[in-house]
Amino acid sequence: MEYEKILEEQFNNVIEDGMMDDVANTASNITYGLSDQFSLENILNATIEGKSIFDNPILIEEMKDLFFYEIKSALILSVEIISVCIIIGILKNLSTSFNSKSVADISMLICTMVIIGITINNFRISYNLAIDSVGTMADTMAIITPVLIGILISTGGITSGTILSPMIIGSISGIAFIVKTFILPALFTSTILSLINCLTEKNYVNKIAKLLRNGAVAVMGLLMVVLTGIISIQGLLTDTSDGLLINTAKYSLSAFIPIVGGFTSDTVDLFLRCMSSIKSVVGIFGIIILLLLILVPLIKIIIIAVIYKITSALCEPITESKISEGLNDMGSCLISIGAIMFFNALLFIMFISTIMKIGGG
Amino acid sequence: MEQLYTWVKDVFLIIISLTFFQILVPNSNMTKYLKFIFSMVILAVILQPIVNLIDMK
Repeated sequence: MEYEKILEEQFNNVIEDGMMDDVANTASNITYGLSDQFSLENILNATIEGKSIFDNPILIEEMKDLFFYEIKSALILSVEIISVCIIIGILKNLSTSFNSKSVADISMLICTMVIIGITINNFRISYNLAIDSVGTMADTMAIITPVLIGILISTGGITSGTILSPMIIGSISGIAFIVKTFILPALFTSTILSLINCLTEKNYVNKIAKLLRNGAVAVMGLLMVVLTGIISIQGLLTDTSDGLLINTAKYSLSAFIPIVGGFTSDTVDLFLRCMSSIKSVVGIFGIIILLLLILVPLIKIIIIAVIYKITSALCEPITESKISEGLNDMGSCLISIGAIMFFNALLFIMFISTIMKIGGG
Repeated sequence: MEQLYTWVKDVFLIIISLTFFQILVPNSNMTKYLKFIFSMVILAVILQPIVNLIDMK
């Protein structure tokens, strides 16, 4: 049959040349060229020929290289922290031989501040990475969603398109704003407060740091549950009413028009099927781009968090318990930041899959 | 955003400076009262945003 040609023609009609170039270029820059093999044309060809899109060994090779590169750069950080910790251990043992106690105290305080300086400098990089990644994901969604909604309306999902479009676009920009303005800065504050806590003998700001961290994660979970629930239920409801409309139209075409009605109805059906294939292609492209956008920063942040946890375990025998506790909290905060980025990507992927699911034809 | 960063900076600076000060103060009977006063200062700095919030309304 000629369905490949029909599909390709319709695809070229719907997706203009260079429409997704911005998205693909940005993703390629951020993922170090990992996303180049997932262009729209490749996914379309794989759909037509029924092939797998993940059968490329280069992807795994590049991810492995990235992984080991991040581990290597995080290990340097770990070695720096451990060497300062060893100096602190030596100073603690020597403090009896100094005449006054305050000299030893001040030297230890300065060593702790060196550790805090190293960690905050490194943390700021991860934090900016997280904020950039959330912003990039929101921008990508803002480009892909209108295209998807347009295709959704042309498959016959008129009610779904008109109701879901403002909801989804509003939630995307709302989520990005809340995460960037409230949730990530709260985690930043919490991290710095738990680092200050390892300077002092008494716990001054330990609880407030934990409160801010748990509050940020809880708000993010709540937002995710509410938005996902509203949009999937709305999608189910409008899907039913659209199906009713489409089926009525097809039935009345074939039943009430005497001779050509049957052919016309079949043609309409073919058109709708092709459009929904194109919708799947664009949706899968969006999901893969989102996954790759989240993957690279997430690998970096999680590796740094694990390295902090390991460093805290290694430091415990040689230094004060305060410092290893602070490093441990630092690891937990980085894991929370990673979790929030992951939740964000999950929410966006759910939006896309809700649109893809509606109006199967 | 800006207010949050200012607040964190304030808390950071006040705790570091008071810790230095505590080490430098000579040992005497008054040290424990001094520590209590320092804690009160830290509490006041931590509560600063709430005071600002009330003033705004």
